[in-house]
Amino acid sequence: MDLTLIVVLVIALALFFDFTNGFHDTANAMATPIATGAISPKKAVALAAILNLVGAFLSTEVAKTISGGIINEDPTTGVAIGPAMIFAGLMGAVIWNLFTWLLGLPSSSSHALFGGLVGAAIVGAGFASVNYSVLLSKVLLPAICAPLIAGISAYLCTKLAYAITKRENGASPKRGGFRYGQIFSSSLVALSHGTNDAQKTMGIITLTLVASGLQDSDSGVQFWVVATCAFAIALGTYTGGWRIIATMGSGLTDVKPAQGFAAEMSTASAILTSSHLGFALSTTQVASGSVIGSGMGRKGGEVRWGTAGRIALGWLFTLPAAGIVGGIAAAITHLGNIGIVIVAVAGTGAMLAIWFISRKQPHDHESNISDIDNSGAAVNILSKKERRAKAKAEAKQARAAATQKEADNS
Amino acid sequence: MIDWTAFLVVAVVTWVAALAIVAAYSFGVRLLAVAKDGGRSQGVSKAGAYACFVVCGLIVALGVVLIVPQLSEAILGISSSH
Repeated sequence: MDLTLIVVLVIALALFFDFTNGFHDTANAMATPIATGAISPKKAVALAAILNLVGAFLSTEVAKTISGGIINEDPTTGVAIGPAMIFAGLMGAVIWNLFTWLLGLPSSSSHALFGGLVGAAIVGAGFASVNYSVLLSKVLLPAICAPLIAGISAYLCTKLAYAITKRENGASPKRGGFRYGQIFSSSLVALSHGTNDAQKTMGIITLTLVASGLQDSDSGVQFWVVATCAFAIALGTYTGGWRIIATMGSGLTDVKPAQGFAAEMSTASAILTSSHLGFALSTTQVASGSVIGSGMGRKGGEVRWGTAGRIALGWLFTLPAAGIVGGIAAAITHLGNIGIVIVAVAGTGAMLAIWFISRKQPHDHESNISDIDNSGAAVNILSKKERRAKAKAEAKQARAAATQKEADNS
Repeated sequence: MIDWTAFLVVAVVTWVAALAIVAAYSFGVRLLAVAKDGGRSQGVSKAGAYACFVVCGLIVALGVVLIVPQLSEAILGISSSH
């Protein structure tokens, strides 16, 4: 197969991945202000698309992590893996992503991407082709740390927002003002999403250009790559928005404006800072950390650890699972040109099949309009009545224990 | 080799930035609520509230300037290697 044809194939698939990423994640940023009525759905979707576009132009640190860090360089060919291998990895990521979407499993498109890439590299070029210290310090550890950092931030911010706006003598705190703040904070989340997620595709395309000898390995990301990735993610965001509008009104987690503002500010800060240091994060995971943290920060918030654990398990699963699919695809491409054709045809077939199945069956999982919403379910916020009942029960228990103790002593 | 200071930087910057923005916005919301109560210093409260919202926007603008290499060079004169 012609070298340039495979490069074009990889770029097309990468942009498709970018598009689905935007498509999938619009809800994460814009669902809350739409739900609280702070902004009309049409405006929200357009705003999210524009900010994703702008965000993609802000930085290239994450792209450099992917193009110049994770895969080891080969002194003779520049990069240890060829474009065919990247194609295989990308195919693994896309298929795993669509598969989890079909089953309604929580997953991270970013981790699917890294899983597929690493799996393909290991199968295609051996264990030495992956730089594990970069993988650990720029992908795996941030995956654990960033949601935690964002969660703690959201917890503190929620407490702070309620403390500052609390008023004495029963005067109304008018926290409705946070609704308009949420337009602002959601916009920042959309911006940070463009900054971190669009760069992953830029990194993949740059890696491909380097691997096929079209670009020096130590040079940065080319402008046309930045621009096409920015447009792909913005288009995906815009298209994905219409799906949200269609399913709007389905049970959104109970998020109060002040709490949502605190959560979104924490998400945006964490993602933007991480992007600047080249950490390739899953924006969904960071946002989920914030939603859980801010829920805990509210009066009477308690975490349903079972639900939270199930979501975390789904995330844990993504990297190795996508790695296996990517690895299998890489093994097939070893057959040569015919292998690449098999991967391309089988992959496209799998995508179409998943799409047709999803048309046929009713979408239970789509009633939850975003992954963040799933995470919101991990926090249970007790109403005033429930809190009182709980305190009463606890007091009763304590009294019973005290009388028991007295009885024992006498 | 893991660069732990990078994680520390992310944590501290995230906390400081988010808390500062949320504090500024919350004070703005509170001052607007105070202004709605009526009374003598209604205008002052309202002006204070809008000042808070402006501070909020400035913090975000500063953050964006720090991230974009071209902007931080042009405005702050820092060439960030990161």
